[in-house]
Amino acid sequence: MAEIVAERYTGTSIKRSEDPRILTGAGRYVDDIKLPGMLHAAFVRSPLAHGLVLSVDVSAAQALPGVVAVLTGADLEAMTVPGPDPLMALLGWAGPTPEFTLLATDKVRFMGDPVAIVIAESRYLAEDGCELVEVDYDDLPPVVNAAYALDPDSPPLFANLGDNIARPHSRNEFGDVAGTFASADRVTDFHIDVHRHQNVPMEGRGCVASWDADLAAMTVYAATQSVHITRTGVATRLGIAPDQVRVLAGDIGGSFGLKIGASREELAVAAASRHLGRPVKWVEDRGENLIASGQAREESFDVRAAVSQDGDLLGLDVKLVVDTGAYPGMGMGAMVPDIMQAMLPGPYRLAALGFESTAVITNKATYVAYRGPWASETFVRERVLDLIAKDLGLDPVQIRLRNIAPRTDPPASMITGRPLVGVTSKESLERAAQLLDFPAFRRRQARARTQGRYLGVGVATFIEAAPGPRGPDGGLGSESMRLRLEEDGIVALFTGQMPHGQSHQTTLAQIAADEFGVPFEQVRVVVGDSDVVPFGLTGGSRSATMTGGVALHGTRQLKAKVLDFAAYLMEASAQDLLITDGDVWVRGDPASAIAVSEVARRAASGQFGADVDAALEVEATYDGGAGGWSGGTHGAIVEVDVETGLVQVERYVAVEDCGALINPAVVEGQIRGGVAQGIGAVLLERSAYGEDGSFQSATFMDYLMPTTCDVPRIEIEHLETVPLDADVNFRGVGEGGMIVAPPTVVNAIEDALSPFGVRIYEQHLPPARILDLIAAAGSGQTM
Amino acid sequence: MKLPPVEYEAPTTVTEAIDVLAEQLDEASVLAGGQSLIPLLALRLARPAVLIDINGLAELSGVWSTDGWVAIGAMTREYVAEESEVVADAVPLLAAALPLIGHEAIRSRGTIGGSLAHADPAAELPAVARALDAEFVVRGPSGMRVVPAAQWFEGYLTTARRSDELLLEVRFPAAQRGTGVSFAEVARRHGDFAIVGLAVSLVLSGEVISDARLAFAGVSDVPVRATAAEDLLVGERPSPELFEEAARRATDDLDPPADLHGSSDYRKTVAAAIVRRGLRAAADNARERQ
Amino acid sequence: MTDITLRVNGATREGSPEVRKTLADFLREDLNLTGTHVGCEHGVCGACTVILDGRAVRSCLILAVQAAGREVTTIEGLATDGGLGPLQQAMWDSHSFQCGFCTPGFVMQATAFLADHPDAGEQQIREALSGNICRCTGYQSIIDGVLLAAERNREG
Repeated sequence: MAEIVAERYTGTSIKRSEDPRILTGAGRYVDDIKLPGMLHAAFVRSPLAHGLVLSVDVSAAQALPGVVAVLTGADLEAMTVPGPDPLMALLGWAGPTPEFTLLATDKVRFMGDPVAIVIAESRYLAEDGCELVEVDYDDLPPVVNAAYALDPDSPPLFANLGDNIARPHSRNEFGDVAGTFASADRVTDFHIDVHRHQNVPMEGRGCVASWDADLAAMTVYAATQSVHITRTGVATRLGIAPDQVRVLAGDIGGSFGLKIGASREELAVAAASRHLGRPVKWVEDRGENLIASGQAREESFDVRAAVSQDGDLLGLDVKLVVDTGAYPGMGMGAMVPDIMQAMLPGPYRLAALGFESTAVITNKATYVAYRGPWASETFVRERVLDLIAKDLGLDPVQIRLRNIAPRTDPPASMITGRPLVGVTSKESLERAAQLLDFPAFRRRQARARTQGRYLGVGVATFIEAAPGPRGPDGGLGSESMRLRLEEDGIVALFTGQMPHGQSHQTTLAQIAADEFGVPFEQVRVVVGDSDVVPFGLTGGSRSATMTGGVALHGTRQLKAKVLDFAAYLMEASAQDLLITDGDVWVRGDPASAIAVSEVARRAASGQFGADVDAALEVEATYDGGAGGWSGGTHGAIVEVDVETGLVQVERYVAVEDCGALINPAVVEGQIRGGVAQGIGAVLLERSAYGEDGSFQSATFMDYLMPTTCDVPRIEIEHLETVPLDADVNFRGVGEGGMIVAPPTVVNAIEDALSPFGVRIYEQHLPPARILDLIAAAGSGQTM
Repeated sequence: MKLPPVEYEAPTTVTEAIDVLAEQLDEASVLAGGQSLIPLLALRLARPAVLIDINGLAELSGVWSTDGWVAIGAMTREYVAEESEVVADAVPLLAAALPLIGHEAIRSRGTIGGSLAHADPAAELPAVARALDAEFVVRGPSGMRVVPAAQWFEGYLTTARRSDELLLEVRFPAAQRGTGVSFAEVARRHGDFAIVGLAVSLVLSGEVISDARLAFAGVSDVPVRATAAEDLLVGERPSPELFEEAARRATDDLDPPADLHGSSDYRKTVAAAIVRRGLRAAADNARERQ
Repeated sequence: MTDITLRVNGATREGSPEVRKTLADFLREDLNLTGTHVGCEHGVCGACTVILDGRAVRSCLILAVQAAGREVTTIEGLATDGGLGPLQQAMWDSHSFQCGFCTPGFVMQATAFLADHPDAGEQQIREALSGNICRCTGYQSIIDGVLLAAERNREG
């Protein structure tokens, strides 16, 4: 096996190959696609949260000049085949399966539920047409909270289920729960709520579907995290074979979990295209994105903590209710409890865990995957640690250090099973504490209080299965890649990853360029064509390890093949050949060098017989190797204006460990973006429903996004201490920032308000809520 | 969120504009900067039959200083007023409020007249106009009239402008010697509409407050003058106790609206805080300007 | 429909948009300049920012017919010779963006801002860009790109 030259690219913040087009307006997003004869779609949507659909009259809409067709829910049922959401099918959901039609036929189940699709010459005309569709509804009592959904008397949203339970109650225990609680010094109860908020990528959902009647083939230009999963969804719904569907994706304006598979609207668009024999485009506007695309995180927790008087968190007993909204079959809300249960112990020595959960169906938008869907387990755990610390007079760093599992060999395991191999939580906590300089901060905090200013500091520690360790209970799945030395000397990587901001076209090229020995510009990462790339999905913070790993090993395999062929050409032994800077040469004889591109050209010339393998292509698979955890500790310093309730995040630090960094700037960008979403969740973002189920945050004037003035500079330090594998030590960071930032910020706010005796059991803290908490905690300050 | 079908007129003179208005009355919306109107159309919350685009009326742009007043043409862009030395010098309260309006791109198009004719009670300019007793010059088929600020703001997004009238200019009294100003607001984020805002203009004669104007944004369906607080302040020396009492008087009778961003009680509490802060800042500003 | 003529990126362009069509949609659909993005259509997110007669504006809040006879610059018009202008280069060097959807708006707003405030510091830049929303980056890398461009500009 030939040597690998010292790494030139991996570990450096090389500039992205995506940027020249991004920075010049040459990116190609779904709404940029124009096809000959293309039509535009808009949806008639329910103004009610819950209702019967008595009639749908499309005649006036159809008569509007420029409107080409109007299809109702009934029309679409006649031209499509019911089937499960492809992502849910992939994840293997086996619980209650609500039956519903693609667009609403007899019933609407949330405000914004699509009822009909209007296809017209322009989006302007399609919206005009929507206004002319007359729908007669009969109101039904809305189910807008979990309490009512749990009540057997609540009107069932789905006739075939008969109740509003998306996931029936279940309970699991790990360790000796009863014994731990019985013998604990203190048992405390908390109720903690996480509020509904949502992904809000800057580009909404959308697609252009184009049916070619001659070829009986559907092409979908999609914004998706997996072209293959979208393909499955479209093929199933149209009742055609997957190989009759080609899904293409170019640039995607963010997703954060929203754009996976195929939404009901996208499937309706595909059906409409086939029906009309013309391309149809639908790109949701911001109103649709906020109202109807899906929301996340509405979870409530009853937590019982068993604690020793010295601050050992001995056991937790947790009851979770997830509000999965309407159409739970389209989103993963009902599956989130399993991940939360598994992750709840975090990197701590928890001896016992009781975990029970129920998921309910309500008249709200569907609960969809949002960056770290299980994140509330970290929120609950890190809040509980701070609350216990306050009860016992310990500081937040002390209580965490006391409870963190030390790194041992063999590693300790979480009570729920997974081994904490390579976890550097303790180191990250110590370093974060150092950076925050608690003693100095406490002095500053005390001085500020004398001046009527309230500063606070908070920390939170987390781990993320990115992809998680290989454990006794099973593997990490696998990732495929096809690699080929193209005729012109380009090393091409064909991957099912579908980057939407993750910079894979840069990071995977860094790895391959180093492994192969060519310049970065000589590698091309091919994504976004279901006819061409192997199966893949960008999500779950897996790609750094899984795709980085298959790129590394696949490139090695490709290189070996190339060297065997080059050896034949150069009449040398493959062992004696090196590739550096795009040239193949015999070790010790620089004059022997020939360009990789020349080798490729010769291989493609077709001159060679069966005894020479000139097919310079490999199909590689990678099983994740040792896998591993990512994680770390974040810290924040905030100031709370107790007269107005406004909170400013003054300082934010992130000490993180994601193993080896492929591209530090990319890693840091992912962390900062996630933290910004976490700050947004706490201070600004809420998907608000009224008591009648009406959606109240349907514009950016009510759903408030964090801006440049809300997110401070985020100081990041990397720990890279524990390699678990000889080659692949990259671990993911996609979700971590969003998982740990909310408890970090809330912990700091509670610390700021401690003179008022405030205790916080929720995640959303807009200014009015801050003042309510201060008022409720009683009068008088304690210094 | 596409705009609904609408007709369009782009008059080139004020007379022409008034003629179209007189014809269309409530069927028409006047399109000035468009920063408030276009979103309403995009959300299909407003459905005028005709848009009367007055961006071509060059005579309605400008800042003029006359005889103790500063007149600002209705089509004067907010950024132009923001950069105007006349405004900075003679209408400092307006100069203090302008940078708080939205963001630069909004102020590139938004107009002084447009904002005041739209009359969003949570916006900054209505509070400024109300505090300073600005005057609104409108013209209709029957001629010109001047409406004082106290009568201009009639209700939520409703002004004294009749459907056949065009707002031509807004006049602000030039600030006296010894004036100090502040515009304090509590907003969720930089550039957002005020949850509660307060325009303050004080005149300090020596160390005594000889004039006090306070007007709230965001506490009612129109900007609200805090006359009880003003009466308290005149003749007194600035002090924390005085400002505390002024805050109480200014907010006692308030019954602010509730929405997603705050309850009525929250707005009332915050209003008191910004009276204290706004008065302190205005007093400091007066001393700086002396 | 109204016939209009305007200057876009230095070239004379014509079209016949419906009166209700926004400048953003006109640029994207009628002139095939899809670099300007539509993120909210109610003037809050800033993705649609273009430069109109020297001022950064939200093209989703302007009717195409209002741009008749005016001078518009979009992101496609910034770089000369198909390369990157200095701000774009600085943003590339700073890893300013991820998914790229907000990018044209930020680039145009920052271009207009730096032209008027070449010596702006971080706080001023943050305030100037507070009307542009990004979901991916947490903004720091964008601010760094603008600061770098300003610094390089000062160094000449």
